[in-house]
Amino acid sequence: MNLRKRIIKGLIVLTLALPLSGCWDNIDINHRVLPVVLGISKSEGIFHVFLQISEPVTDRIRIKIVSGSGRTITHAIDRLSMNMEEHVDLLHVKIVLLDKQFAMEGMSESIVDFMRARDISPKALVAICDEDLPSFFDKVKKGLESQGTILFDFFEKNAGWNPQISLTRVWQVYRSIHSFTRDVAIPIVRSGKTTAIEHIGSAVIKNGRMVARISPSETLLFNAFNGESTQGSIEVMNHASVLITANTMRNTSSMIGDTPYMKSTIRLKVVLLETRGQPTNEMIREELDKLLTERFNAMFGKIQAVKADILGLGQFYRHIIPRESLADWREEYYPRLQLEMHIETNIQNTGFLNTP
Amino acid sequence: MDKSLHVGLTFFLTQLGIIFFIYPEHIIASSSEGHWLPILAGAAANLIVMAVYMKGLGYFSNQDIISIYTNVGKSAAVLFLVPVIFYLYMVNVIAVRAFAEIITIVFLSNTPIWAVTGLLLFISTYIAANGIASIFRTGVLLAILFLPSIGFILTISFQNVDWHYILPLIEKRFEFLTSISYMKSFYVFATSFLFLGFVQPEITYSSKKLLLAALSLIPFLLLAVYIPVLTFGRSTASTFKFPFVMLVGTIHVNWLMFDRVTLFLLLSLITFTMLFIALLIWQMSRMISRPLPKVKPVYLLLFISAVTYIGCIMIPNWQDVEELFICNMVLRIYVWLIIPFSIYFLGLREKRKRSYEPT
Repeated sequence: MNLRKRIIKGLIVLTLALPLSGCWDNIDINHRVLPVVLGISKSEGIFHVFLQISEPVTDRIRIKIVSGSGRTITHAIDRLSMNMEEHVDLLHVKIVLLDKQFAMEGMSESIVDFMRARDISPKALVAICDEDLPSFFDKVKKGLESQGTILFDFFEKNAGWNPQISLTRVWQVYRSIHSFTRDVAIPIVRSGKTTAIEHIGSAVIKNGRMVARISPSETLLFNAFNGESTQGSIEVMNHASVLITANTMRNTSSMIGDTPYMKSTIRLKVVLLETRGQPTNEMIREELDKLLTERFNAMFGKIQAVKADILGLGQFYRHIIPRESLADWREEYYPRLQLEMHIETNIQNTGFLNTP
Repeated sequence: MDKSLHVGLTFFLTQLGIIFFIYPEHIIASSSEGHWLPILAGAAANLIVMAVYMKGLGYFSNQDIISIYTNVGKSAAVLFLVPVIFYLYMVNVIAVRAFAEIITIVFLSNTPIWAVTGLLLFISTYIAANGIASIFRTGVLLAILFLPSIGFILTISFQNVDWHYILPLIEKRFEFLTSISYMKSFYVFATSFLFLGFVQPEITYSSKKLLLAALSLIPFLLLAVYIPVLTFGRSTASTFKFPFVMLVGTIHVNWLMFDRVTLFLLLSLITFTMLFIALLIWQMSRMISRPLPKVKPVYLLLFISAVTYIGCIMIPNWQDVEELFICNMVLRIYVWLIIPFSIYFLGLREKRKRSYEPT
């Protein structure tokens, strides 16, 4: 009797292992496709969706680009999934590539939907494509054949990322839709002539809409301002070129009357690479200061004109401007902001040679 | 037997399990800036209530709160304990249902609610069936297993913070005092501490150490609210249902082989919540078994879980969970304030009585 009871109890315990598998309407991994890149364009109210799918075929990876259309993004993906023999699972989408036209019309609703449904990870990167998505994917596909993660590696910090590329994730775009003081910059790419992808600058996104564009070298300053490391980028001037090895940022903000004033200093540590003529260290420092300050002012003028605060300058006025007025930061205060930029350069060393 | 560590740890974990979900949402909604003030005010109130409760219980060192009330009189027991049973039942239903929904929202989107609810309740009932000692032992085990991963996630969750969002520090109008969301946020304090009255005389604990456990929760309360606020900003964070869960979804760690850290946080917290649910079921069974001494406690437990399960299934959607949450508010304030203070005054009376009677 006792033994039988024990056996029954043991069997009950064993059945407990069943729910451990967590399988419920589960689709096996070989019946799923896990796209890495999701491309979205919109024309006349219809969304077109492109998925880059990597398929392992006998010791190499084949790249498939599939596309579908529908009245919403999920509708389009659902129709795609219906027509494919596998289930489309967006869990591993790393890059959301948006058509430029779509970005200029405004993408806030799509971004909000991404955040609501947790299919697409909020940390997927957002990029804008400067050419038609079908022709972009067509050209890039060739480069992808050799290495399936090329688009992804392009933005990955421990792979092909450069300080001239802004990195913006879905949640940051979402934040810019709601935030009073923070906008974002999204990298713009197109297919290159000799390389698979060409980076041609950043799009300035204000409240989920693309309003302006800045160049790669301006993006570098934007990254430096936001405290991203610009280590490894090279600046070329008339008399020298230098390699930036470190950067720090210091800001002081003040408010006189209704006008916000800001003093910013970027401190660079550089290493001398090439020289032309016989420049002194002093000359190189001055030249670098002039070059970068001018470039920064040009960029700042551009973004100030469209009232997009990608530098997050409003953040520095949180303790000065009360919250209710901060809601009008972009319209009221930001266009009047006076920003004074300084570049302090420290030439860390000049290589094996002495400079005059 | 002095088990301060076990009791304190279990108290700590059951609280930790619930603060990372709805609490940040309520606090962020209650005030537009300077969130530390409502958090600290709530925590201070909680410390006072707990101190009063334990002081009161200290006067009856060999009775649990059921005996305390029954000794005063049958009507007193009914008056005080029936609302508590009701309250715990509602908390239990809300907790199980809310967590089942969270699991569905975050990762098991295909699994039906009834299956998730069933699993949650089944495990908790099993823990509760083995008695309070096993609940405490499970608590220690869970702490060893999962607290390190919680600590790790909390450390890396600072990845995207922008410290400017901490300003302005002071909100001068004290708008949180009149906000319903703030009243709702007290749910984190109002339940866990009750079990302290059920464990004696079998298990004793030092009230100082318990207060220390409550005190050590304050940093976690601050983190749960402030990390989302510092990352997203108040105006964005207030659009999220579970700000902290969302925040963990944004963490990007290159060298970590797991893509979604959220799962680790969530699964750790869910084990803590199972402990919480087990405690609730156990307390209810203790209260119901007193007038029904002939029924085996295990059957009572099964009955309570079955009723809870039915309650959970009856709630069709998230909005109803929130409505139930608001309905529960009156009972919550009753349990949170009346029970500790009544115990305290009964304790004072007991002490006076004792000093008159020659021993």
